[in-house]
Amino acid sequence: MESVEYISSDDENELDYYSSDRDDSNDDALINDDDDDRSNWLPNKGSSSKVITKESLLAAQREDLRRVMELLSLREHHARTLLIHYRWDVETIFAVLVEKGKDRLFTEAGIPNPESHDPVSLVSTSTMMCDICMEDMPSCDMTKMDCGHCFCNTCWTEHFIVKINEGQSRRIRCMAHKCFAICDESVIRNLVSKRHPDLAEKFDRFLLESYIEDNKMVKWCPSTPHCGNAIRVEEDAFCEVECSCGNQFCFSCLCEAHSPCSCAMWQLWTKKCRDESETVNWITVHTKPCPKCHKPVEKNGGCNLVSCICGQAFCWLCGGATGRDHTWSSIAGHSCGRYKEDREKQSERAKRDLYRYMHYHNRYKAHTDSFKQESKLKETIQGKVAILEGKESQLRDFSWVTNGLYRLFRSRRALSYSYPFAFYMFGDELFNDEMTKEDLEIKQHLFEDQQQQLETNVEKLSKFIEEPFDSFTEDKIMEIRMQVINLSVITDNLCKKMYECIETDLLGSLQFGIHNIAPYHSKGIEKATELPVSWTAKQCAGDKRKRLEEPTTGGSSESDRPSGSGSSEETDFPAQKMARTDGFGGGMFDLNLPAEVIDRN
Amino acid sequence: MVDFSRVQKELQECNKDINVSGISVNPKSDNLSNLIGTITGPVGTPYEGGTFKIDIDLPGGYPFEPPKMKFATKVWHPNISSQSGAICLDILKDQWSPALTIKTALLSIQALLSAPAPDDPQDAVVAQQYLKDYQTFANTARYWTESFAKTSSAGVEEKVGKLAEMGFPEALVRTTLEAVGGDENLALEKLLSG
Ligand SMILES: [Zn+2]
Ligand SMILES: [Zn+2]
Ligand SMILES: [Zn+2]
Ligand SMILES: [Zn+2]
Ligand SMILES: [Zn+2]
Ligand SMILES: [Zn+2]
Ligand SMILES: [Zn+2]
Repeated sequence: MESVEYISSDDENELDYYSSDRDDSNDDALINDDDDDRSNWLPNKGSSSKVITKESLLAAQREDLRRVMELLSLREHHARTLLIHYRWDVETIFAVLVEKGKDRLFTEAGIPNPESHDPVSLVSTSTMMCDICMEDMPSCDMTKMDCGHCFCNTCWTEHFIVKINEGQSRRIRCMAHKCFAICDESVIRNLVSKRHPDLAEKFDRFLLESYIEDNKMVKWCPSTPHCGNAIRVEEDAFCEVECSCGNQFCFSCLCEAHSPCSCAMWQLWTKKCRDESETVNWITVHTKPCPKCHKPVEKNGGCNLVSCICGQAFCWLCGGATGRDHTWSSIAGHSCGRYKEDREKQSERAKRDLYRYMHYHNRYKAHTDSFKQESKLKETIQGKVAILEGKESQLRDFSWVTNGLYRLFRSRRALSYSYPFAFYMFGDELFNDEMTKEDLEIKQHLFEDQQQQLETNVEKLSKFIEEPFDSFTEDKIMEIRMQVINLSVITDNLCKKMYECIETDLLGSLQFGIHNIAPYHSKGIEKATELPVSWTAKQCAGDKRKRLEEPTTGGSSESDRPSGSGSSEETDFPAQKMARTDGFGGGMFDLNLPAEVIDRN
Repeated sequence: MVDFSRVQKELQECNKDINVSGISVNPKSDNLSNLIGTITGPVGTPYEGGTFKIDIDLPGGYPFEPPKMKFATKVWHPNISSQSGAICLDILKDQWSPALTIKTALLSIQALLSAPAPDDPQDAVVAQQYLKDYQTFANTARYWTESFAKTSSAGVEEKVGKLAEMGFPEALVRTTLEAVGGDENLALEKLLSG
């Protein structure tokens, strides 16, 4: 048994142990009765994505640094230069090493001489000319970089300051023309801190943040106001994650989690919803400009002669000014030409597009609205459960209620985002050349059938959850319990099937377009777990979730510590410092709510 | 703050071999951060015989930031804006190194006149012409050199005046002169032939 200090990780351990012990085909999230509200709603086991806080940023990159240092017997600053150049992708570094050899690996990254020792100020009494300021300088005021280029310290310092201010801290090149060597970070730190300690700190932060900025597997959490965290994912960048601040997002595009819509579709959809163009569209469908005063005029009734408030009469079909003398089928002295047909077709098309959009948007919106309504159920449901628990009754386990509600959120969410997906999948905007109309129609029917089933069952589930079961008899409650559990399993399965259908039959069959969606997880969007602040090799090999109490020791000599001042102390913070997870989300219902709902709550 | 002691040294150094390099740099006023550079058009190019003035502004961070340079003389070249004189050259941007000097920058510009890089154009119109119709490009470039980069020899206005006096319409004289790169005799031949 672990000691008390590990409370928060213990929780997770217990849950992991617990749920992995079960048959987790459908419903492990449904049936774990638990003494702790929070863990009841923890959907993921040992999540692979990690929250990187300001404090753990250094520890997060340690493993990569160490691997590279060990494999290539490099000193830390060279390892970092290499990792920055290859965007923190250790696999790429190994691949380049095998393909091109050590020399190329280093020179391409701007490391001319990895075996070189710490650059030292030249100890000599003679003077040398600095090619930058063109002054004679005592050699002791000059610094020779790994590449062999030697300039005076004043010039180096000036160069570093300009580059740091330009935001180029991560790749400050040597001053010599056409020399691609990256300057040694310790030289930079030393020289700059003598003149501008603030700037030296900024430099260190930039270096540290390279792990986030230059790394495709790590991204800043897009929360506003920014929580200060970054998220690291393993292997697949197409996923949805939840930061410890409660913000859920699509890791790939940083928008709200939107699967089973692809990122590209979601971008189009949000733009479409925002765009005035739809109102413009409505106006073109329903009104025509008066040929005299140019105000939009609405058609009233079936007659094609319309008149503007300014008194001008005109033909609805072609928009041309006419007299008022007309019959149903013709206007005196007026005949429309081909022009009319084009106009008519255009407006027919606009009308069709608009109606199609409205169809999908209405459903999307209806489900989003239900979602918002249902997320308010939280307290009511808790109240009902409390009442039931207070009763003398044989019924003890009410986890089915909260689990059912959770399943409802999860499915409702998938359902609402399936509408924008369908809008683009079966529209003619994206995949016109991909398949024949007939093919597409067959697939559309298949998909809509699944969507329909999901919709029906989600509504049923919603209905049962909202029943006032706290006032029911035990038998009735047992019946509702059965229904809720059944429907939970069914909707979960239907969601899974719908995602499968989208991934393989629909998006998977595309030849030209590349659309990826985040995979479906029964347990909902993965909560990233916080990385421990300190890190050692032993810990990594052992239980990853265990947090080390004692500060990092060993191996932290001056050159081993990458980023001087500020950060070294932070490395040593005990684990308790980070127990911020617990304060978040006000309990269980932060799961699976879109950002807007969280905002409103 | 510009390193004026270095600039001073650079100016002395540069103006020592003016006759060999064809490159000179002089302060615009007392202020050493505004300079005028002069380069001669490279032999064997449409710029031959021209003298091109280049406006040089030294930013506060010079030499740690690149000098700002643009042509004060109008020039027809794919990498130089025919409108503003802006120059598209890597060492004036991200490839600048403090070890370079105003003179080396001017030498690079001179080299650019001999070897345009139309794939990385500053002036898309000129670059298109350079790629699709080199002859017209060369003629235009030569005409611009004649018109704007030559002060000593007979100016274009003089030639226009002479040909117009022979009875050709002035507008036609100008276009013809431009088409043959400013050569007075060729222009006359062309005007006479039709
Ligand atoms: Zn110097
Ligand atoms: Zn160098
Ligand atoms: Zn966050
Ligand atoms: Zn996305
Ligand atoms: Zn009107
Ligand atoms: Zn009527
Ligand atoms: Zn008409």
